[in-house]
Parts: sequence; C-alpha cells; structure tokens
Amino acid sequence: MAVGQDVLARGRTAVRWPFHRRPLPLAVIGAAALGAALLAAVGLGSVTVAPGDTLAILAHRLFLLDLPRTWSPTAETIVWDLRLPRAIEAAVVGLGLAVAGTTFQGLLRNPLADPYVLGTASGAALGAAIAVLLPVRVEILGFGLLQLLAFVGAIAAVTLVYRLSRVTGGSPLTSLLLTGYALGSLLAAALAMAMYLSGAALRQIFSYLLGSFDNASWAELGGAVPVILIASALILVRARSLNGLLLGEDAAAHLGVDVRRERAILLGLASLITAAAVSVSGLIGFVGLVIPHVVRMLVGPNARVVLPLAAIGGAILMVVADLVARSLGEIPVGVITAVIGAPFFLMLLRRVQRGYEL
Amino acid sequence: MSAARSPSPEPEPDVSALPDSRSTVRPSLGRAPLVAVLGLVLAACTGATTPRPTIPPDATGSLLPATTATVPPTGSPAPAFPVSLTDDEGTTVALQKEPQKIVSLTPAETEVLFAIGAGDRVVGKVEDTAKFPPEADSVPVVGTFSGVDVEKIVGLGTDLVIAGGSGGTQPEAIQKLRSLKIPVLVVYAPDVTSVYQDIELTGDAVGKSEAADALVVRIQADFDAVAAATAGVSKPRVFYETGDQPSIYGIADDSVYAQMIGLAGGTPITTGSATNWEMPTEKLITADPQLIILGDSAYGVTADAVAKRAGWAGMTAVKNGAIVPIDDIPVTRPGPRLGDGLRLLVAAIHPELHLAVPSGAPAENPSQNPYGG
Repeated sequence: MAVGQDVLARGRTAVRWPFHRRPLPLAVIGAAALGAALLAAVGLGSVTVAPGDTLAILAHRLFLLDLPRTWSPTAETIVWDLRLPRAIEAAVVGLGLAVAGTTFQGLLRNPLADPYVLGTASGAALGAAIAVLLPVRVEILGFGLLQLLAFVGAIAAVTLVYRLSRVTGGSPLTSLLLTGYALGSLLAAALAMAMYLSGAALRQIFSYLLGSFDNASWAELGGAVPVILIASALILVRARSLNGLLLGEDAAAHLGVDVRRERAILLGLASLITAAAVSVSGLIGFVGLVIPHVVRMLVGPNARVVLPLAAIGGAILMVVADLVARSLGEIPVGVITAVIGAPFFLMLLRRVQRGYEL
Repeated sequence: MSAARSPSPEPEPDVSALPDSRSTVRPSLGRAPLVAVLGLVLAACTGATTPRPTIPPDATGSLLPATTATVPPTGSPAPAFPVSLTDDEGTTVALQKEPQKIVSLTPAETEVLFAIGAGDRVVGKVEDTAKFPPEADSVPVVGTFSGVDVEKIVGLGTDLVIAGGSGGTQPEAIQKLRSLKIPVLVVYAPDVTSVYQDIELTGDAVGKSEAADALVVRIQADFDAVAAATAGVSKPRVFYETGDQPSIYGIADDSVYAQMIGLAGGTPITTGSATNWEMPTEKLITADPQLIILGDSAYGVTADAVAKRAGWAGMTAVKNGAIVPIDDIPVTRPGPRLGDGLRLLVAAIHPELHLAVPSGAPAENPSQNPYGG
C-alpha cells in the first residue's frame, strides 16, 4: 500500500468516505457508466441512425466483422468519422483534465487549484489567438496551426511560471501559485489585446475560449490521445510521491520522497496533459477542478485510488456534457459541464461537510 | 471563373480600372501577394485577418462610372459537368456532376441560389434573421452564428456546400466537410465587383451560368441607373452607424459599406482603420457628418435617441435633423439585392433625386433637402 495512506486515514477519522473501503465496485460502476455514455454519444445526434445500424457499424469497423450492409454509407460516415472520434476525444480530454486537476491540487495543496492554475490556459489561449490572426495554414500530424500554437503556448507559459517561481523568495508553493497568477494576468491582457485587434476572426478566438469537440477527427486524436494517456499513466505510477507531497514537504522528505525532483516531474506531466487537452478542445473549465474533489469525497484522499477514479469520472462527465451540448445545438460544452457538475458537487459538499479538506 | 466556360474575350475596358476588376482571373489569385504582405503586418500584431483589396473610401465615388459597362459575358451556353472551379480562397473545387443537394452557409448565397433558379435544390441553409427569400423558409437550418452542424449536412446527402470566407463560416467546419469528401466552395466578396464574380461562380457551380449572368446584368443595371442619377451631385459627408452598443460603431475604411456610400453619392466617414469599426465620438464630431444613416435602426436606435446623445448636438446632421433609418441587410448583403441596397442608400442620401426605391423600404426621409442651403 502507498506510503502515507495510513497517516492520511488516521488524521481524518472524523470524515466518512462512503466508498473508502470499496473503491473497486465504484470503479466498476464508473467504467460501466462510461461505456454507456460512449454508446449514447455514438448513437445519438442531429441525424437519426437506427441503434442496430450504429452497433453494426461499430462491430464492422472496430472488430472487422463481415456483416451484411444494412446501413447507408452516410450513416457510416456519421457514426465512424464524426461521432466516434468526438466521443473518444471528449472522454480522453475529460480523463486528462481530471488527472491533471488531481495532480495540481495535490502538488500545490490547494483546493482551488485546477489544470489551468499555472498559466496553461492563458498561454494556450494566447497561442490560439495568434494562430487565428496569422494568415498561414499548417498541418502536422492532424494538428492545425491553432492546435500547435495552443500547445506551445500552454507549455511555454507553465515553463516560464516554474522558472520564475524558482528565483523568487518565499515558499515554493506560494511562489508557484502567485507567479502563475501574475503571468496568467499578463497573458490574459495580451489575449484581450489580440481579441480587440482581431476583427472578423474574433468569433474563432471566442469559440476556442469556450471549448468544443466540434473539430474532433481521427487525425487529431492521433496527436493528443497518446500524450494524455501516457502522461496520465506516468502520474499514476507516481501516486506514492503525490501522496507524500500532500502531507507537506517535510513529511514527504521523511518518507523518502525527493520533493523537488518529484514535484518538477509531476508538474511537467500534468502540464503536458493539460496542454494536449486544451490544444484539441479549447478551454473547458470545471471538470479538472471539481471531479477530483468529488472522488476524494467518495473514497478519501489516497492518490492511488483517487487518480484512476477521477480519470473515469472526468471522462464520463465530459462525454455526457458534450452529448448534451450538441443535442441542444452546439452550446459551449463548458457551460454544460458546470450546469451538470455544480449541483452534483454542491449536493456532495452538503453530505460530507464535516471536516472535508484536501 | 469556370474552366468550362470561356470568359468574355475582352474585359470591359472601364471596369478594368477597378482594383479588383472582372477579368479572366479569379480575384483570389490576385490576392495571393496580399496574403504575404498581410503576414508581415500581422506579425507586427496590428490586426486584419483577411486579405482584401484596398479601396480608399474617398475614391469609391469616382469608381461609379466604371460600372456603367453592362456587356454580359457571353459564355458557352450549356455548362458542362464535370467542372473545376477556383473559389475565392484559391481552392480548386471539382464537381463531377451537377449538384442536386446544395447547402448554403451564407444568407447571401441562399438568396443567390434562389434568385438564379436553383432554390429547389437547396437542402440546407444557414440561419437568416432577415428570413429572405420567403421561399427559403422551409429549408432546414444546418448552421447558425455559433456553428455548423456537419453531421446534419452529411445526413442530408449534400453534394455541394457554399460557405463564407473570411471567417463567415468557421474554417474548421470547412476543413471537416472537405475531409469528408464533400465539395465546399468558399465565397467572400469584399467589394461590389466581387459580388458579381461570386454570383457567376455560384451559377457555374450549380449549372445555372446563364441565369447568374442575367442576374449580374440586372444588378449592374441598377448600379448604372444610380450612377446616371447621381452624376454631378454634391457628396455630403455621411456617417453610417452599424451599432450603438456598447459604444458607437461606424464603418471601417475599405469596407463594402464605404464603397456603397460612395457609389450612392455620399462621402463616407470611416473609422480610419480597416479592422476597427468603433467610432470615437470626438472623431465623429471633428468629421461633422451632414447625414447620419442608422444601419442599426432594426435594433431600436431612433433619430430622437441619437439627437439626445451627449456631444452630438453640434453636428450638422443633428442640427438639421438629417438622421434616417435604413434596412441594413440589402445594403450590405453581397447578393441579388445589392442594387436595392444601393437605391435605399440613394434615397437616404439624395432624397431630392426621387429615385425609385424597392418596395418594402423604410419610411422616407421627411426632409427633402436635409443638408441646409
């Protein structure tokens, strides 16, 4: 078992976590719910495709079954080229944001931390705005210029924040947070200026800021999904360090965690996930902030348990939110994540109000 | 211009005086160097995203006689498919056979398709708040300001999409449709001449070249009539208001608005920038408009409200009560009703000419000669 888990549990006996001793059933329920959400996302849309046809198309393309062609080529295009990549992208981005959120909250020991807290969002948004303003078209591995510059912007911003925070006085965590806030504000000002100057392109920048899976394609998935999944797996492997850091630097050091090194690695991985996610989907809030809390309220703070469950939870919320968003006529998906998630979160918060802390 | 049709052997001499004249080359090709130039400008973070030919607004009035040539292009009669067209972004679009299921993603193109007799083949359209033409009412909406429903377009079995350039249609949606092997023709008309070219391009794409040519001739006739009527008139300084929330918006320097006002016998007051449409009140007071046209009257802006604005009382237009509402859509929509739009502008700027205005025009300016004297 993870180092630190007992310590964490002992210190917080006042809190009851409904699924503390049985995270596995919760994971099974979650996985089943995710499967159902993905099926619904592939089966429903503005064009009606018979459920039998949808399943047959999936079986035909996924498992290469040689089925009699009862479906039209149009239905196949809609299910295979439009809905499935979109559903998968939503799931993976939701997964990534929830894992990154869990990591940032643990690293920074701050319940308000989310994947965007260290400047990634502002950096990505500025990169996207610059891409929109540049009259060139580039495509590398299914990534357009917008995706590329958003990714670069996010990584550059968080790198700069990390470097700057190292040369400031004060405790490392406070420095990180405040540097992130300061640089984020500066980048937001640059973004506002870019938007002001953008003329007709304003709409494109605006729609990036709201976030969407409208542009999902197999090519785009090929670029972002491996990054998010591999970095998430690497974070999961380091859950022990995350548990240690959650106890504080001294405690972590006593548990044998190389605080500075582990912090840098986890920060880098979580930022990489965030950058890959925002580059394909735009800025979708709420998932990365709230899903980790929801999971912790259910199972307790052990990162080894929280990380995989948060991954499943983030994927479910994002797939469902995107389905609702496009059923209602391409409403921004971030609106839906908040509308679905916030009441659920408040309800949980009422039930576990006694002594819940990060 | 279509490869299937031979363009008129000699371009009209006087039209060729226009910066973006009708010629054997599509305007997009002519804009290629502009893209490079703009790239440098943009690197300096100054704004514009779309290459557009520059027409100094003050020169647009003098362009008027240039459009008097009405020689219709005498293209080959039967448009043959397959055809290969070059759209306004320079993309080559190949159409194997005559499109039977057309989706229009700009309100102007919806109007064009119906005007040239291809309306019965329009299976999807972008939302049009002006609801024009009425025959298009029953066509399913597959796109709105916020997005394009690619799935619906695929589901309709679409074999041609006509989309708007310069961000009119989301570039991502265009890219996605093309990746699904649906031909997408992108049109963008930064000036009056380009509107003619886009109508002809649309005609070539849907097998209605002759009807498109006839429509262009009809619009040109309107412009000619206006040119004749406004020849030699004084050109009052006109401020065309495009919005009043949260601040006052006018018209940008080389916009189609500026050109239209020039052609209608006015001197447009512009913001001084090609991308910024916001008009500082101080600047407007300095420019002292003799006429204020309320393009935003559909949003509840009235002459009374304008006269009461702080600092506006001293403007010549306000003193003389020369503040008139207008139906903004025909004036700016690059489609079949552009001639109507021009006539509406003339009615607003030069009511003393008593030029015939299209039916359904807003109330006429009560004052016969609003500019004093």
